[in-house]
Amino acid sequence: LTRSLVPSAPAALRALPPPVAVGVLHTTRPLHTTQQSLAPLPPLPEKGGEVRHGLIPEEFFQFLYPKTGVTGPYMLGTGLLLYFLSKEIYVINHETVAAACILTVIIYGIKKFGADVAAFADKLNEEKMAAAVAMKNEAIQTLQTAIEEEKKEQWRVEGRSFLFDAKRNNIAMLLETNYRERLLMVYNEVKKRLDYQVAMQNLRRQKEQEHMIQWVEKNVVQSITPQQQKESIAKCILDLKALSKSAHAAV
Amino acid sequence: MNLSFFDQFSSPTLLGIPLILIAMVFPALLLPSPGNRWINNRLSTLQLWFINLITKQLMIPLDKKGHKWALILTSLMMFLLLTNLLGLLPYTFTPTTQLSMNLALAFPLWLATLLTGLRNQPSVSLGHLLPEGTPTLLIPALILIETTSLLIRPLALGVRLTANLTAGHLLIQLISTATTTLMTTMPVVSLLTLAVLLLLTILEVAVAMIQAYVFVLLLSLYLQENI
Repeated sequence: LTRSLVPSAPAALRALPPPVAVGVLHTTRPLHTTQQSLAPLPPLPEKGGEVRHGLIPEEFFQFLYPKTGVTGPYMLGTGLLLYFLSKEIYVINHETVAAACILTVIIYGIKKFGADVAAFADKLNEEKMAAAVAMKNEAIQTLQTAIEEEKKEQWRVEGRSFLFDAKRNNIAMLLETNYRERLLMVYNEVKKRLDYQVAMQNLRRQKEQEHMIQWVEKNVVQSITPQQQKESIAKCILDLKALSKSAHAAV
Repeated sequence: MNLSFFDQFSSPTLLGIPLILIAMVFPALLLPSPGNRWINNRLSTLQLWFINLITKQLMIPLDKKGHKWALILTSLMMFLLLTNLLGLLPYTFTPTTQLSMNLALAFPLWLATLLTGLRNQPSVSLGHLLPEGTPTLLIPALILIETTSLLIRPLALGVRLTANLTAGHLLIQLISTATTTLMTTMPVVSLLTLAVLLLLTILEVAVAMIQAYVFVLLLSLYLQENI
């Protein structure tokens, strides 16, 4: 932030006497109005910095490596510790023992549960991501299904004319069938009525015939006098005798 | 650096400048503020999950009016938890071992719950002074007892926290002194004492967390009665 802005001051300000020019903020561009402050943040690094023994960054070891090799930092640490102890800059008292105990507990806890806690934190983040990704995939799936449905509807539209023709034919057949049925019905009704008339005529003729026959028979029977009856009976007997003689002869 | 047993309980100063404020504010430095990323790093995610857990646990028994207390109760919980746990490290000062600080936390919050109850629903609040189903003869005595119990609550809250932490720290100091002294004369006994110290340390870690939780839980219970 210690940007030296004085050299970039415009000429008009440089013309001012020094005390005023020193106290004025010289800017050539207004601050925080460009896209840079609203731009998307750069992505985070995947892993944190490398640490050795959980405390000391790897860069420290790399820093000492050219001059002291691999064992350099360890020698430094041991020497420093022994220096503090021998000069009693660090005094061993009861806090040392307490420190050893609490450090044991802490390190044991970290070694035992560290990986699980990290996995749990990763799982929380993964679930968050998975929910969002699932939503995105579902939206894509819905849209694709919609596209396919639309295509199928468009294909259906092409066959529309055939569908209407078939429907039209269907209706025409129905009408025709209905018409024929009604025609048949009319024919049957008319025939029934005509048959009735014919039957009536036949019945009348039959009745007339019977009546006439009966009348003729009655008159004939009435007209037979007793004299005629006797003559006819005698003739019948003579005929029978003649017949029986011819029959005897034949046998 | 020769320490007496009471150096860890004295308010820290550096060249006469009191450092108590730094000691109280320091735990806040350990909690990363959630950045404007959608997926955070592990520490932020865990912190968020933990705070959500605490807030849910505290707010479930309360109705909507009590949710105004969410911020103060959760931040109190985090503060107590961190100060207690950090105090277990060597050569650190635990602010919660000071009775002044614990009473300063307990008294105003308890009084706030009491006044909220008395102002909004006075008869219900006063009704808590008499448990249901007490025999008629015992009523006066019971009311006196319940009032005493009510008025002693802030004292109990503060002293409970102070006593637990102070006792724990003092025990750690004494037993580690015993270990150090015995190391030269009777090493085996010293090792046994060291084992005791290890167990005590584990207990102290548990006590630190439990005491913080109990403080906040009791406050939320007092709030439930009075909201």
